[in-house]
Amino acid sequence: MKIRLRLLAALGATVLALAACGSGSDAGSGSGSGSGSNAAPVEIRWFCCLGTGEQAEQVKAQQKVVDDFNRKQKKIRLKLEVVTYNVARDTLATQIASGNGPDIVGPVGIGGAAAFNGQWADLGPLMKEANFDLSPFEKGSVDLYRIGSVQEGIPFAIYPSTVFYKADMFEEAGLAVPPHKYGEKYKWPDGRESEWNYETLKELARKLTVDKNGKDATESGFDAKNIVQYGFEPARDDLRYQGSAFGAASLDSGDGKTVKIPDTWADAWRYFYDSMWKDKFVMTGQVFETDQFNGEGAAFFSGNVAMSVNFLWSTYGVAGAGKDWNVAAMPSHKGKTTSPTSADTFRILAKSKHPKEAFEVLSHLVGPASNELLAAYGAMPARTADQDAFFDVLAKQFTNEVDWQVVKDSVQFADNPHSELHTPKYNQTLTILGTYRSRWMTKSGLNMDNELKKLQDEIQAVWNN
Amino acid sequence: MTAIRIRRRPPLTGMARREARHGFLFILPWIIGFVVFTLTPMVATFVFTFLNISLEDQGPVRFVGLDNYARLLGDEQAWESLWVTTRYALMWLPVVVVLPFLLALVVNSSRVRGTGLLRVMLFMPYVVPFVAGGLIWQNMLVEDGWVNSALQWIGISDPPSWWNDATWVTPGLVMVGLWGLGAGIIINLAGLQAMPNDLYDAARLDGAGWWRQLVNVTVPMMSPVIFYTLILAVVEVLQYFLIPLVLFNGTGDPDGATRFFNLYLYQTFFTYQEMSYGSTLAWLLFVITLIVTLVLFRASRRWVYYRSER
Repeated sequence: MKIRLRLLAALGATVLALAACGSGSDAGSGSGSGSGSNAAPVEIRWFCCLGTGEQAEQVKAQQKVVDDFNRKQKKIRLKLEVVTYNVARDTLATQIASGNGPDIVGPVGIGGAAAFNGQWADLGPLMKEANFDLSPFEKGSVDLYRIGSVQEGIPFAIYPSTVFYKADMFEEAGLAVPPHKYGEKYKWPDGRESEWNYETLKELARKLTVDKNGKDATESGFDAKNIVQYGFEPARDDLRYQGSAFGAASLDSGDGKTVKIPDTWADAWRYFYDSMWKDKFVMTGQVFETDQFNGEGAAFFSGNVAMSVNFLWSTYGVAGAGKDWNVAAMPSHKGKTTSPTSADTFRILAKSKHPKEAFEVLSHLVGPASNELLAAYGAMPARTADQDAFFDVLAKQFTNEVDWQVVKDSVQFADNPHSELHTPKYNQTLTILGTYRSRWMTKSGLNMDNELKKLQDEIQAVWNN
Repeated sequence: MTAIRIRRRPPLTGMARREARHGFLFILPWIIGFVVFTLTPMVATFVFTFLNISLEDQGPVRFVGLDNYARLLGDEQAWESLWVTTRYALMWLPVVVVLPFLLALVVNSSRVRGTGLLRVMLFMPYVVPFVAGGLIWQNMLVEDGWVNSALQWIGISDPPSWWNDATWVTPGLVMVGLWGLGAGIIINLAGLQAMPNDLYDAARLDGAGWWRQLVNVTVPMMSPVIFYTLILAVVEVLQYFLIPLVLFNGTGDPDGATRFFNLYLYQTFFTYQEMSYGSTLAWLLFVITLIVTLVLFRASRRWVYYRSER
């Protein structure tokens, strides 16, 4: 027995010694990085996908950028870590909490970054050291990433919102398509002209909502239980996006403590609720879940929706809507037009152990590799000089002629303040908004005034903690 | 009644001491694992409950006394989540305890033909990973899924909106859970097959019919197995988390009806990044689990029969 025990002890000691050697060699490579020509390269971890980037083709394009970067130099070894969007936020939070965070995160939008408020590196000193030139970008897009005096990002990709519409449905109904130019009026078949706003859109959408007997939502005998074509699909995923389509605002009244539901957002949410349960030109949550209308997560892609407000990135699946779709100007609300604009970039975590090397990688991603990545993401370049070339490439993906000028024109109506900007208790606030969104989509007969009051109180209670 | 005399344990012999030492060495890896991966995190989370650790607040970590516990008392979401879990438990526990027992009775019966095939069919879904099973059920229970099509076929023109109606989503989740009953059936079947025949012979001699035998022989003799499945089910239901996370991406949809307590705890830790408050929720769950388990054990004295006990 004694011999066996000694054997066990020896085995244990060997395992421990091997483990110690293993960790020692790791530590050695880390500490030796950057010194001498034979030093191991610094490893920079690139974490994806808090926004876009997880589709197979996108992963392939990102990996190619990584491989090319690693081939061209030996000082830095870039490593791509793809975590699917659904779990990316929690995974990153866990990594940061356990002190094992990556160096670079992206592409990440305003909202994704706001969820990790205060944890991004200030790029200002790194940009100064590297003489990074910000002049190819519009000042507004640079400022979008400036939080106080901290420059957290460099503009990379922007996705303005437009109205996507199916021209064949308008033709079939004998209606003119929505205006492509901002400020232009909508022309009705009887010669009447209306301001292109959400009231006009409602009137139009009701005519384009059709039941199985071919009757539209304005006709008597319309069968609301058997709708085969819907007139409109708003931005369904996020109440803040819905709200900002009616007017840029924030839940934060300005003092960082008090919640105030902006009037424009309240208007948007009432409009959304009534359009589902009263006017019937927007599908309810229940209908949205059916195969007939859920085209890969976006109702417009099903080909059974006449108009939809969405970001430019929805070009990834819009082919599902058919070959006769196009884009039109965003409608106005109370005389003001807003095109909620999403913006993605790459960021460096403040706790990165190699900020200098991480910035070198980041400069490559938003610089030489940007066109390759932007094409994969379907994103409009923030660098104005690259925009025409981007739309030339994008246009080749579709057989129908799309008026991309509408997208370019929409940039000037970007929401400011951005709807996804950080608020106190950001993630809890999102959860509460998500719960109300789910309730409104699935429950009829709600009193929206009470709902809005309850929503405000609930968020305030969380902010008070 | 005789008084119990406490006797001092006799000193161990040399050989017994060696055996005890060897025994201890053999369980040492488990003890190390328990201390490192269970006990230490438990103690750490308990300490966290008195601090203000949060990734969102970048301020220094400080002692906050009972603030997290006070916050818990006023946290409506926590209590709502607890109610979501309780509501599910009230629906799920009778199903997970009674149904495997009844199905085990069927597949153990000598009067039923094809019990071998039935056993395989009942156990097979258990082999399918639970998440995969959940995703299959998700599609079966959508608005225009197979279940609703079947309901419409039998004349229910307006079938439930399983995943979009806060009232129907819990029964929907119970249906998903049926996928995992195989293990419970096997445990009950093993218990039934270990039943001594002499008790049934005696019952029959006393004139007991099928029902009497079930109520007076089978159920009491199976009570330890039923109790075991109940305890496991209670612990499982208090930890219920995976299916709502997978089916609803942790959103709690519809209308917060799937924000189970454990999901809220997870969100507080990882989504809201509030480590200290998350630890407080975790300790509440631990205390609730402990109390429920203790109550069940205490109550079991009244209805669980152990044949070896005198």
